[in-house]
Amino acid sequence: MIQNLLYMNGYGLFVWASFSITFIACAFVFYKTQKTLKKYERDFAKEINDLSAEKRKLVVENSKIASQVLSSYSKTI
Amino acid sequence: MISLISPSNIFHWVGKLISFINSIFFILLLIALSFALIFSPPDYLQGDSVRIMYVHVPSAWISLAAFTCIALMSIANFIFKTKNLTIITKSIAPLGLMFTCLAIVTGSLWGKPTWGTWWAWDARLTSMVILALFYIGFIVSHKFILYEERANKVSSIIAIIGLINIPIIKFSVDWWNTLHQPASIKLSGVSTIHSSMLMPLLLMFFVMLLYCALIFLMKYKTEIIRIKKKNLKRL
Repeated sequence: MIQNLLYMNGYGLFVWASFSITFIACAFVFYKTQKTLKKYERDFAKEINDLSAEKRKLVVENSKIASQVLSSYSKTI
Repeated sequence: MISLISPSNIFHWVGKLISFINSIFFILLLIALSFALIFSPPDYLQGDSVRIMYVHVPSAWISLAAFTCIALMSIANFIFKTKNLTIITKSIAPLGLMFTCLAIVTGSLWGKPTWGTWWAWDARLTSMVILALFYIGFIVSHKFILYEERANKVSSIIAIIGLINIPIIKFSVDWWNTLHQPASIKLSGVSTIHSSMLMPLLLMFFVMLLYCALIFLMKYKTEIIRIKKKNLKRL
């Protein structure tokens, strides 16, 4: 059964190559996108933390996004 | 109404949606792959090589749908000048390019056992290559034009011109005598594909759509944070 699945009556090379290329491309794009997102979140949270207390309070109060990124970042560390 | 879909209002939901898709994606992928590679029957004429359809056709559908979305949003952006639309189109474009390339490569892998050649400069294949070039033009204009407003204008023009290519791709198999087979699935009219193959195809399409949604949301989130980061520097 496994041999049949791999060989696919002589079409195995074409079928498995198609599925493998698709899977590898999708996995690579997922990994790269996730890595970039994490890096931006980390850098953004760091920049907010580096602000003076007064400015940080102003940013967190006025921006929902900043407060959410900051809270999710502090959960991960 | 427009303020309801502003980045700051939906940012929280974007994160929740990413987690939800992540939680169900791999189960659905396994089910779809089992149907595509094991349970679906071989074609009476093409044999097992027909299984390539389960990655080739959804990739082609997504590439066409993504470009149509980008072009329509670019037209809307010209009229309404909404920043959110620019972020959305920028997030969709890399996905569209990837699926266009996948449709071309898997099509070539299907072409060899079916037509006896990896490549032919026929109408459908050539118009897909042109679509990939439009995607590249769109992405490159955002990457290399420094002034954001000018980059938006150039990329929008590229997308709107590229929209002409979409019906050419769709109807190329009807208008010209090509190696590529005509459409088997029709929205209006009777489809010529058996349900035992249609079901795995739609399942694979759904899984790939979920993947697109996941990548799109992550890219969208990244873009929003990038803009917020830029604004933070102005303080």
